[in-house]
Amino acid sequence: MAFFEQHIHDAPTTFLSKYVFSFDHKVIAKQFLWYGIAFLGLGGMMAMMIRWTLAFPGEPFPIVGHFLFPNTNGVVPPDTYAMLFTLHGTIMIFYAITPILIGAFGNFCIPLMIGARDMVFPTLNMLSFWLAVLSAVILLASLFTPLGAAAGGWVSYPTLSTLIGSPGVGQTLWCLAIFVLGASSTMGAINYIATIITLRAPGMGYFDMPLTVWGLWLTAILNALFLPVLGAGVLLLMFDRVFGTTFFLAGAAATTGSGDPVLFQHVFWIFGHPEVYILILPAWGIVSDLLSFFSRKPAFGAKATALSMTSITVLSTVVYGHHMYTTQMSPLLTQSFMMLTMVISIPSAIFFANWLGTLWKGSIRLATPMLFALGVVFVFGLGGLTGLYLATVSTDLYLHDTYFVVGHFHYTMAASVLLGGFAGTYFWFPKMFGRMLNERLGKIHFWISMIGLNGVFMGMMVVGYAGMHRRIYNPFVYEFLHKLIPLNMFITYSAIFMGFGQLFFVYNFVYSIWNGPKATQNPWEVGTLEWTIPSPAPHYNFDVIPVVKCGPHEFANPNLKGRDFQYQTEELA
Amino acid sequence: MNLYSLYMKFFVISANASENMSLWERMKPPVDISTNGHLIDSLFHLTTMLLLFFMGLVLLGLFGFSYLYHNKRHPIAHYVHGTSKKHIAIVAAIGAMVFIMVDMKITGISNRDYMESFAKWPKEDKDVVRVQVLGQQWAWNFRYAGKDGIFNTEDDIVTLNDLRLPIGKKIVFQVTAKDVIHSFSLPNARIKVDAMPGRISKMWTELTTTGVYDIVCAQICGTFHYRMQAKLTVYTPEEFEKWQNEMSERTKYVMEKDNADLYWGWKWVANN
Amino acid sequence: MAEAMTNLATKNLSESDQGKEIVSSIGMIVALISFGMLFATLMMGFAMFRFTAPVWPPDGMVKPSLFLPSLSTLCIFLSSLSYIWFEKNIANKKGLILTIVLGLGFMFMQSLLWHQLRSQGIFTSSGIFPSIIYAFTWIHAIHIMAALGLLFWLLFFALNKINTKALLLASSVGKFWHFLGIVWFIMFLTIFVL
Repeated sequence: MAFFEQHIHDAPTTFLSKYVFSFDHKVIAKQFLWYGIAFLGLGGMMAMMIRWTLAFPGEPFPIVGHFLFPNTNGVVPPDTYAMLFTLHGTIMIFYAITPILIGAFGNFCIPLMIGARDMVFPTLNMLSFWLAVLSAVILLASLFTPLGAAAGGWVSYPTLSTLIGSPGVGQTLWCLAIFVLGASSTMGAINYIATIITLRAPGMGYFDMPLTVWGLWLTAILNALFLPVLGAGVLLLMFDRVFGTTFFLAGAAATTGSGDPVLFQHVFWIFGHPEVYILILPAWGIVSDLLSFFSRKPAFGAKATALSMTSITVLSTVVYGHHMYTTQMSPLLTQSFMMLTMVISIPSAIFFANWLGTLWKGSIRLATPMLFALGVVFVFGLGGLTGLYLATVSTDLYLHDTYFVVGHFHYTMAASVLLGGFAGTYFWFPKMFGRMLNERLGKIHFWISMIGLNGVFMGMMVVGYAGMHRRIYNPFVYEFLHKLIPLNMFITYSAIFMGFGQLFFVYNFVYSIWNGPKATQNPWEVGTLEWTIPSPAPHYNFDVIPVVKCGPHEFANPNLKGRDFQYQTEELA
Repeated sequence: MNLYSLYMKFFVISANASENMSLWERMKPPVDISTNGHLIDSLFHLTTMLLLFFMGLVLLGLFGFSYLYHNKRHPIAHYVHGTSKKHIAIVAAIGAMVFIMVDMKITGISNRDYMESFAKWPKEDKDVVRVQVLGQQWAWNFRYAGKDGIFNTEDDIVTLNDLRLPIGKKIVFQVTAKDVIHSFSLPNARIKVDAMPGRISKMWTELTTTGVYDIVCAQICGTFHYRMQAKLTVYTPEEFEKWQNEMSERTKYVMEKDNADLYWGWKWVANN
Repeated sequence: MAEAMTNLATKNLSESDQGKEIVSSIGMIVALISFGMLFATLMMGFAMFRFTAPVWPPDGMVKPSLFLPSLSTLCIFLSSLSYIWFEKNIANKKGLILTIVLGLGFMFMQSLLWHQLRSQGIFTSSGIFPSIIYAFTWIHAIHIMAALGLLFWLLFFALNKINTKALLLASSVGKFWHFLGIVWFIMFLTIFVL
């Protein structure tokens, strides 16, 4: 495809044009990173309140409880609890993971790794970030409306999310916020797709791209295709709430009313299942690359990994029905969705085999990014395999809407993506800020996170199988759940442990930006294009557009003299 | 609250709650009282075995390779791209193994269970107990046909949050909701079905053990979702008969067609 | 894309311009696919209601008369034609002005349609069929207004200098305008005619 050189404009000089309304993909990436980390903290605080309520029902939330909930003496009230889990889901998915994995790493890595000077549409890129900010403002504003924020779960099924179930403005603002964020992410996705198609450095074929870029590209494709679907869904929901249309309002019991609440579930999950892969694909890409980089060995079957990710992307669009087994679709649909869902395990098994194959006979350096990448292999293995219980319809009849589901999707979407995001942060931090993060603190952070999150999410699966349902303010009104009190406390202690562990990261991150040791050009000894330029990456990245001559994972070539890796700009030894 | 009281609390509650249960006991699902529940439990156990096997392989690779090929022990990596025929064959074999050992097996079992048990509706002409279920914020309404066997007539038995069923008979539910989506869940029978306004969904089960159990709403339905609890009392057939007779005599269901709160039943939708 | 290439070859553009042309057309195509998914979702919802309803339109409604929607269709069809004429020679702005006039005519027809429905006592809350008509035409109309904004912008600001950039803008806006015409035609066929 026709590659063209982007013009180099002068570096912006004013504070506003340099740090706020910047067109530079690296600055926008950092903006997304800060945005995501801030919301990660907020979502995490909400998770703490949820966990506290489940483990100690009726106890005031420590420290800030009396300030936040003065009417109930510091105890989280049930309506607030509903808002908390709704916003926890929404914030973590749309405002934390999406900005960090897709906004930050997408913006940062794509141009650097394919040898481009910037994204192909810098203005669209800036607009994408500021729309995300607008969306965040709308969402947070909904907290201060008279009846509070949205409280219908992050899926916001009607008719609970219509005026029947949530009369306040909060839910309308939620719809608006999601719509605006969808527009923002779609803009980003259009940008990524066009950039990767047109701006790859001369000589770089699709299979010469690092797998990170593959993951981000597939994510962008899914985003561009399926965010508009969600957009249409929340738009109609908003119409139902504001203009009185009746898309999702059925008539009274057992009469055929005009609308149909299940339509929203279809629309939501047509988007919602690809969304799972939207979140995990960049993490898979990052992990596939890092395993190779730190095993000092070419990625095992890199092409097969890329093709597996592609086939999962395709499959992910046709399996959404497994979220809706209990709505009683026709048995034929149920059977086909079950079968299609199961097929996903073949490409997953293939790239798991490739990941382990990459480690096999490598020369493994257990640096912090590598630890996090290995952690992803562990938690995603568990998360993926526990999906089997939920894909088979008969076990899903029991497990649907229990904490087992919560544990499962936290393993896949929270644990894997979070660890993948941390791996990326530790890995690209030198290129972003020109400094190194502290390795010791990073390792402490890894082990605390790893132990903590396994305690939390494994515990969730256990209480789920023991019968505890989701989104229950106080599970112990049910007698058969009394035996789960100690387990719930264990989960909460694990969560608190993990939560405090993140302080190591925050300290390390903030301290190292200004005071970390200066990073060399290529601290990890890796050959992809971003490491051929100084750290931090200079204005417009590449003075001379590089010409790519070999793949991204050329390590341990016996013909190499003096070092065990080669740059992508060098002829294969 | 200080750490000490927290610490005390941990022990006090765990001592009170469930009489020195072992962790294993706590992890078990609620007691199974239905004829089909064991299908779900056994598939769960089979899947767990498969999970442990494959997770074991992953962990073996993960920890084994990380140890064996740590750069201290194995300073020079092999220059392998994994693109040789042998490697591709191994990876493909792993994919195929997962598909045959896991997917085919559990999909087959689950499909069989679903089609031959959970979605195989009992013949209506047989002796079945029919119940209409209406979820509302935040309670469950149950309706039995009464003596004439026809729903939505004056001799219907209507209860609130109180479902009574016999053992040994097939029970068919038709479920819907009045306001928002609920989910009618019987953890002890291992099944649930969504209650959706404007649609009638159905579910059937056959119970085996008498006693009193919990009915849960599984789908978020508003602030007091967690309070949407009903009791399931399982009787022997004789006791159930007796209870039904008692109820028919004691209550007279008033047909007020204008009052939507009371007039909520529907004609039984015949199975096809 | 091949078409874009041949277009450019005849125009003898520089290599960098050629790259830009391809980039902007790829960007626009991806964007239109996204917009297409939005409308496809709406049509999927419509199809679900249409095929599960025993009688259509439900609730004893009658379909609105075809007169105004047909006029709208005519307007938007002619406006697409005039835009194609304009793209042949973008120095001549008559085609663009005609497109804008026809676009405004389309919006006028739509507002007449909404007025007519209201005067017949059909409101958004009257059931699923009016919900569909109102919501879908509104969503489409918002896009039309955005596109009209772009056309005005082309008319007054963007085409002051006729260069590659102006050509690219005109072609991108044109793609969007034709796309909206096609969407309207599908809506017209499915909601009003069938």
